Amino acid sequence: MTTTDVRAAEPGTLTVYGRAAAAEWLRLRTVRSTWWCLLAATVTIVGIGVVMAFDAENVTATGELPPATAAGEFGVLLGQFALLVLVLLAVTQEYASGAIGPTLQWTPRRGVLMAARVAVPVLAATVAGVLLAFVADIAAWLIADLPLAGADVADSLGRIAAVLVAGGVLAVGVGLFLRSTAGALATVFLLQLVLPFLLPAFGVEWMADLGELLPGSGAIWTLLGEPEMSAAQATSLLVGWSAAGLGLGGWALLRRDAG
Amino acid sequence: MISVRGLTKQYGAVRAVDDLTFDVAPGKVTGFLGPNGAGKSTTMRMVLGLDRPTAGSALVGGRPFGALAEPLRAAGALLDAGAVHPGRSGRDHLRVAARTHGIPQRRVDEVIDQVGLGPAARRRVKGYSLGMRQRLGIATALIGDPAVLLFDEPMNGLDLDGVRWVRRLVRGLADEGRTVLLSSHLMSEMEQTADHLVIIGRGRLIADASMQEVIRGGAGRRQVRVRTPSVDDLAGALLRAGLRVHPAGDGELVVDGGTAETVGDVALSVGAAVHRLVEDQSSLEEVYLDLTGDSVQYRVSDAAELVTR
Repeated sequence: MTTTDVRAAEPGTLTVYGRAAAAEWLRLRTVRSTWWCLLAATVTIVGIGVVMAFDAENVTATGELPPATAAGEFGVLLGQFALLVLVLLAVTQEYASGAIGPTLQWTPRRGVLMAARVAVPVLAATVAGVLLAFVADIAAWLIADLPLAGADVADSLGRIAAVLVAGGVLAVGVGLFLRSTAGALATVFLLQLVLPFLLPAFGVEWMADLGELLPGSGAIWTLLGEPEMSAAQATSLLVGWSAAGLGLGGWALLRRDAG
Repeated sequence: MISVRGLTKQYGAVRAVDDLTFDVAPGKVTGFLGPNGAGKSTTMRMVLGLDRPTAGSALVGGRPFGALAEPLRAAGALLDAGAVHPGRSGRDHLRVAARTHGIPQRRVDEVIDQVGLGPAARRRVKGYSLGMRQRLGIATALIGDPAVLLFDEPMNGLDLDGVRWVRRLVRGLADEGRTVLLSSHLMSEMEQTADHLVIIGRGRLIADASMQEVIRGGAGRRQVRVRTPSVDDLAGALLRAGLRVHPAGDGELVVDGGTAETVGDVALSVGAAVHRLVEDQSSLEEVYLDLTGDSVQYRVSDAAELVTR
């Protein structure tokens, strides 16, 4: 095989990307952790939705019945972590096992790998989350006869998708940057859930203000409409943190040694 | 064909690879030797685009590996047999590799057969022995039918059968005209397998020469053994001819620095019968220890002189 042969036969970037994405999808499907995470997400999202449905009259302060879509939203608020773990493991497991070496030998164009590694796990987690939220909505509607309107469902699932995409991209970025499962998991968990709930609970103003700057606050607002903030604020939180995570992760993948 | 030019890798204060320049030619098995920490693996990782060189370049088939759209068709490598997701089956690992290149499933089963992984390929990698991981790694390197192969210690953990299999495989790949770069610490294995040697120490090139040249040139202490019934006569004649002679007992003499020709001629001139005449060639192991024993003493220029002498 000569150099010219290799060049003549070389496929375009789009083909290379398509193959890299197909390989990512196969990677995701062929490890058990993915399926465990999906099981956990199913139990959490649908389970919380069902529990909420049985307890519907206590969900809102006014005692007025919430729409069935609240089931999926509450479910995803917690269940997103199983999905974020799925996304994170797709990235960090490769650094733990050293499999990033072979991966980069097969897809050495790091930008291509980056694009596939962001798109496929995040898309998979988002689709799974949206489907599970929909199941939770239906369950709430069937069990507690909560109101279910087509427009509500579309709006709710759209917001859920936005939260999962933003969280997933942040998780990939943090995973690529930190390379350690434990470190990345702790970071995402703190940013996305623990600190946004914990910081305001101290009743100290600057802590509450700080809490409102975290990505989790944007996610909670997008799902539940709390705490007080504008749609623009929430959107910039989600987009800004994902972009920052992606920037750091991209820098690490593109510039640092394979690891 | 692999071309390494002025390749350098600096980790903080440590220069792991220092201005390395060599070519690995097709159709030969090139042994890549050096003590632990000499920079062999780092060099291979830079050739494969995994680590970024501080300076210099490495080309595979004339192009940087990191730019290739179908790298597995250009070069296959086994660097670290353990670097596989432990929860994935060996077959799935190969399927992922194949999918990155649009290689058909048929080829996956072909390489599984070729390396003798058999039914184990469907088990998860966490249960594999080191030998099985090596076979999986070799299968991965072969899957794209590449022109260049890099194997870092492929015989680690293999049983005798496995070692012989790798030796035949590597030989066969080179005979098909492929470029093979093979690192190993098993000197006797290397002596049997490699045609050419690249030896490095502390990140620097020590020798880049054919196996024969290294063994001949590197042996500062070439010896000839001669057995004769007239030990005293022959010893005297050899001494007069300016050679150093030690009696080895049992009618044998060890002659330092001579060749079989000179010793035979001297024996003829004094009418001493010769019953046995052997040139003792140093083993690769001896030469290697000589060359790398003190990497500071043997700089590139010394080594070049050594191997051409």
